Amino acid sequence: MPNNNSTEITPEVIDLVVARLEALPPNVAMSVGDKGSFDLAELIESVKACDEVGKQIIEMQLLYLRSLKELTPAE
Amino acid sequence: MLALVTRPRYEETTNYLFYWAGELLREAKERKIPVIDLDKEKARRTVVESYLTKKSPDVVIINGHGNETCVVGQDGEQLLIAGQNTHLMKGRRVYIRACRAGRQLGPDIIRNGAAGFVGYVQDFIFPYDKDSVQRPLDDEYAKPNLECSNQVAISLLKGHSADEAHQEGVRAFRKKLDALMTSNSRNSAVATCLIWNMMSQVAM
Repeated sequence: MPNNNSTEITPEVIDLVVARLEALPPNVAMSVGDKGSFDLAELIESVKACDEVGKQIIEMQLLYLRSLKELTPAE
Repeated sequence: MLALVTRPRYEETTNYLFYWAGELLREAKERKIPVIDLDKEKARRTVVESYLTKKSPDVVIINGHGNETCVVGQDGEQLLIAGQNTHLMKGRRVYIRACRAGRQLGPDIIRNGAAGFVGYVQDFIFPYDKDSVQRPLDDEYAKPNLECSNQVAISLLKGHSADEAHQEGVRAFRKKLDALMTSNSRNSAVATCLIWNMMSQVAM
């Protein structure tokens, strides 16, 4: 299961996640459970501030990136 | 077989859940399964408790916001609270599409005799298209996550156990992921949430 405490959030990690968010189409928004709905600018702001929502987005992005490593190529 | 579905609607997230849970009603109708539809103002604690007691549904599907110990209905009113009314789930198969209910609420539901539970240990997160909020069922960003999570509920409606429904949901997430794992930026946003929700889903 996802673990919010599994990764040290360094400035490099924050830059990586911000870059990934900036690459998304501008019309994307995110429903983050009971924390509310956020557009891209708000998500980027949260990631930069490393607040509760930002940490969750960082952990989610890192989980995605780690999972790419585990993909097996089609035969 | 009788099912009970709650689907409050009072802001963007619940608006999406409202419409996608509506797809479950359509599915149930096709299968001739009667459903108690507690939508909007009917998604209140006293109403839910009354139906659980008097109608005794086999399957309970709750949509809305939540946390470790409770899940809410219309306007954020608490519906189901650990240690208070989880005994009403005794003997039922329960799916809660809400944040973090898998941490304490789910185990409490099981301790109180439920036949099974599926939920999420983290926040349930999905992307959506700001230009499509008036048409949630047509929103290509929101669709994959809500469609895959719907699969859990559909499986329960088919009569499967919570564990089988969980597995069927995971298979749906994986299948969608396989189709989305490209460099396309929209797909990346969707896939990120698919993995998160899939990994967060638990069954008891």
